[in-house]
Amino acid sequence: MLKVIELDKTYGQDKHSLKSVNFTAQPGEVTAIIGPSGAGKTTILRSVNQLIRDNGGQILLDDEDIRQANKKELRKIRHHIGMIFQNYNLISPLTALENVLHGRLGAKSTMAGMLGLYSNAEKAEALELLAEVGLKDYAYQRCDQLSGGQQQRVGIARALMQHPKMILCDEPIASLDPKSTRTVMDILRRLAKEKQLIILINLHQIDVAREYADHIVGINSGAIVFEGPSQSVDDTVLQKIYRQADSTATVTANEN
Amino acid sequence: MKTNYRSPQQFFRQRQLRLWVVLIILIAIYWLSMAIVSFQTIPSIVKVPAGLVWLFKNFVPTQRSISYLGPILYQLWRTLLVAVSSTICASFFGLIFAILGAKTTTPSPILRVVIRFGASLLRNIPVVAWSMILLFSFKQSDFTGFLALFFMTLGYLTRAFTETIEDLDGEKLQALQAVGANYFQCVFCGVLPEVASTLTSWVLYMIENNLRDATLVGILTGTGVGFLFDHYFKSFRYDAAGLIVLLIAILVILLELSSTQIRRAIA
Amino acid sequence: MIENSSTTPKTLPQPNPKTKRISMMTRPRLILRTVLGGLTLVTLYSLLTLNTANLKLSEAFKSLGTNLHSMFLQPSVGQDSWNLLLTALTRSVSLAMLTTLLGALFAFFIAVGAARNLSPTWLANTIKAVMAFIRSIPTILWVLIYSVTMGLGANAAVVGLTFHSIAYLVKAYSESIEETSSDTIEALKASGVGFWPIVFQAILPSIIPALLSWTFIRFEINFANAVAVGAAAGADDIGYYLFMSGSFYSNFHEVGLIVYLLLGVAVILELVSMRLRGHYLQKN
Repeated sequence: MLKVIELDKTYGQDKHSLKSVNFTAQPGEVTAIIGPSGAGKTTILRSVNQLIRDNGGQILLDDEDIRQANKKELRKIRHHIGMIFQNYNLISPLTALENVLHGRLGAKSTMAGMLGLYSNAEKAEALELLAEVGLKDYAYQRCDQLSGGQQQRVGIARALMQHPKMILCDEPIASLDPKSTRTVMDILRRLAKEKQLIILINLHQIDVAREYADHIVGINSGAIVFEGPSQSVDDTVLQKIYRQADSTATVTANEN
Repeated sequence: MKTNYRSPQQFFRQRQLRLWVVLIILIAIYWLSMAIVSFQTIPSIVKVPAGLVWLFKNFVPTQRSISYLGPILYQLWRTLLVAVSSTICASFFGLIFAILGAKTTTPSPILRVVIRFGASLLRNIPVVAWSMILLFSFKQSDFTGFLALFFMTLGYLTRAFTETIEDLDGEKLQALQAVGANYFQCVFCGVLPEVASTLTSWVLYMIENNLRDATLVGILTGTGVGFLFDHYFKSFRYDAAGLIVLLIAILVILLELSSTQIRRAIA
Repeated sequence: MIENSSTTPKTLPQPNPKTKRISMMTRPRLILRTVLGGLTLVTLYSLLTLNTANLKLSEAFKSLGTNLHSMFLQPSVGQDSWNLLLTALTRSVSLAMLTTLLGALFAFFIAVGAARNLSPTWLANTIKAVMAFIRSIPTILWVLIYSVTMGLGANAAVVGLTFHSIAYLVKAYSESIEETSSDTIEALKASGVGFWPIVFQAILPSIIPALLSWTFIRFEINFANAVAVGAAAGADDIGYYLFMSGSFYSNFHEVGLIVYLLLGVAVILELVSMRLRGHYLQKN
């Protein structure tokens, strides 16, 4: 279980990006964070694996505070948190298989990582994961020859290769067409159930969030304004989440 | 190009094999070159730090070297002039050749081939060869260095300018042709304004480069600051030689910084 | 000349004297013209003051014509032998290969330290400044300087050429590294991957084409430098024979032959680089 308690983030003086953020995300569920752009969705997600350093609070993953970890421990924790991105962020001249194997790099010694030495078991697993996201035939294709939806699925396989407890998804479908959106979201929902993963996902599209998420966190100007099951999101809730952002929000918008 | 491998093992084995082949070839080239040049890697690399220390001890300008400052500054100035003037003259002719030789603006395809060939000939004759060719006729004068740099720069800039002009979007020219502009109007009002800042960047880059090459040419032809360096160096006045090195470095860095500024301002 | 490049009308014709002049002069264009104008003035000044005192230009050009004729139309080996010249040429090519390989190896690791997206700013800036200093000193001076401590010959030539190659390649490599998107690096960081694995598994594969083409450009430069070192610092390669035949024996038939040899190498290099680039683009 992921528990975020009183998380604060300021950029410079009194430019608040996050104000005492509290929420929880359960394994086996898809938790969606929704809100207007600039509200702080990306900041929350990146604070969870400490790509952005926050200013105070607690982030408990299975009762272990990620914020207390030193550099080495943090790398270890990160290894068990998968992340997928809007722009996929794959190494484009490498094949899909190699990109999936990158998910193992965090578990290797520096030398083995530098040389890219993978065991046969790892290679077999990578192939299997590619098959699981429906890309068995594309394992040896260069990633820049794949479509957006296919690249995102490679990204998911890479995250799975980390044997994660949790996958963070930063606007994973923002650059995808409707059909690929469905494929990707279906895979994510299935994975949450099958592997009992915590899936935390930033979304722009309310309808997608309502359809696929079990749990929804609404954020406006850096503060949580709603948290609850997706069925309970109705028009009044949406109005609350998407009401006109005040002046501080426009400032933080630049930060995101 | 969908390639299928029977197993990931096979794929990675093939990758690794390719990597090893490349590595072995490179190492072989290295060993072979080492043998041909009769260079000893380890002893030489070991000597580098000591060499640097020696350098700092002996090449640091002293009180005495200040007395050399006058002639050094004068020759540095002459060398800079040669570098600038050869580049500017070369860019003038280079631009004409480039317009005549670029695919988009050439009046005749035959001319294009001739210009391409000529430019690549000029470019590929090293500046040392140019110095040797010209030294006999033009003796020990600045003019020898000027011509040597001029010919080489002409080759480089003709090619660079040609490529810049060819990168230009053809539709922009069509827009002007549609207005009813003739050849010269197209070139002067369409092509040149469009490429002016890129061409200037090239010119500035060549000036920097030519200043360095001018030193070499100076050593070979006995002119400018290169000759002065050679002279002090051979008469063991290392502090004076060091002063020259320092001044050249400062001049080149100043030139680099100002051309970066100019490039940013005109971009 | 380029300043003619903007012979676009500066002002529109004024139908009515009362209307304000409409200036089409923008700031960048003003700077461009000032720079080019200034450079042209410097050029005119230096052409007028060029030291041609003991020189009759018409005679000089005439003799140049004769020399070019004997060079390109009657090349011969002169007082040296084919064997000797070809050996010397091989030595020049080897010198270029050796210094390029050595330079590339060192430069890659230094470039990682000099890339702003991988290293702390102070380190990157320090390395870049040192490299800029080394680069600003002409290669031939480095060779001469080293020849004092190492003695004239191969070792000084290699070290001097390598020095300048490293400085040049560090700049090129680190700029290529800086071009890789920080997002891809972040993606691997997010999964707990350490520094060197990111460099070798993510950055290196993305920039190999750029590295190859820079290294090859440097190889061409190093070949020219190797010839220069032979001529000016007495290393026993083709440059030395070029210098001797041109400046000492004034045998232009031999100069011509050597120039042909150098051109031949240049053509081969051009072909190889085209093949290499084509091969790489196709393969990946």
